[in-house]
Amino acid sequence: MIMSEPIPSIDPNKPAGMLEGDLVKLARRGDFSAYDELVKRYQQRIYATIYHMTSNHEDANDLAQDSFIKAFQALPSFKGGSTFYTWLYRIAVNKTINFLKQRKNRQHISLNDLDFNAEHDPDLMALISDKTPVREVGLTELQQKLNAALLKLSEPHRMVVVLHDVQGVSHEEIAEMMNCNIGTVRSRLFYARQQLQGFLAEYINPA
Amino acid sequence: MKNSENNFKELRQLLKLKQHEIPPPGYFNHFSDQVISRLQSGEGHGAQSLTDRLNVQAPWLASLLRVFETQPGVIGGFATSLVVLLVIGVIISERPDSMPNNILTATANSQPAPSLASVTNPDLGGAAQASGIVASTNPVTSLQPVATLFGQPGGSSTLFQAASFSPAGN
Repeated sequence: MIMSEPIPSIDPNKPAGMLEGDLVKLARRGDFSAYDELVKRYQQRIYATIYHMTSNHEDANDLAQDSFIKAFQALPSFKGGSTFYTWLYRIAVNKTINFLKQRKNRQHISLNDLDFNAEHDPDLMALISDKTPVREVGLTELQQKLNAALLKLSEPHRMVVVLHDVQGVSHEEIAEMMNCNIGTVRSRLFYARQQLQGFLAEYINPA
Repeated sequence: MKNSENNFKELRQLLKLKQHEIPPPGYFNHFSDQVISRLQSGEGHGAQSLTDRLNVQAPWLASLLRVFETQPGVIGGFATSLVVLLVIGVIISERPDSMPNNILTATANSQPAPSLASVTNPDLGGAAQASGIVASTNPVTSLQPVATLFGQPGGSSTLFQAASFSPAGN
């Protein structure tokens, strides 16, 4: 017998049940509970993007918080030409790129742990066992190499790879977030992948 | 495009590893609370810096400034081009002063020189035309020597006027 959990009811009058547009309107009037809900909705994605860019948990934490605070301050200037999510991302992207340019010569890696599922991911297992039997490379070492390779890319190239290949954001959305055209996004993505492939040639066998 | 995706298939598989990197347990339970408490403590009402406002309102300008910040050569080139533009502007702005002079000189060489009175006095316009002088409403000073201003057109005699001075008290 399968026990199913009761479906939580969504109250449209509470922040959790509200549409994004309504939450933005309330937050613009200074409603912290509405903004709290917006933060909860996007905190993981914003944090992850910044973390993958910086490879440092503490920096990602600070920058993610700062991005949400700046977004709240800038809410009066949010015209609604794009979604709140895209607009918020743009703030986070700019903030992160500015930060990385300032700390260019003092990179400090502080990586998060891998979750339990990593060891059961068939794609990853295929990479570290079938094709690399002599290297005996573990996931943690692979993680370090991957992050080091990402940090060798320029900030715009790294951002495109992180947003598209790690987070699954579409080319169009990336173009909007990074204030450039789709062609630029595609060429940056191609170049960044090429670079990464070169840096990680030891661990991958290009087709 | 598809071919490109296939070329990077293994790289994309490797990049999936990034998706398994997770922050410490419970990290997101308090994240929004920290943001809201910072906002409530007054950070949300703080004035935005110019850079932050630019990032939001004019991202293109912010990116331009970032380029200047990171590539001093670009700002040097930009400054040089501004100086060149300024110099060109100064040169051009001085040209209008010399151009009418050239035109007037050419006119003065080709036609009889008008007296200042004949040019500026409309009553004398008909007489001036009759004597071959072109009247103009353009308020320019004549390039003729000052002595000719009071001379008669075509006249060659110089007018002399006696002047007498008497010391004060006499």
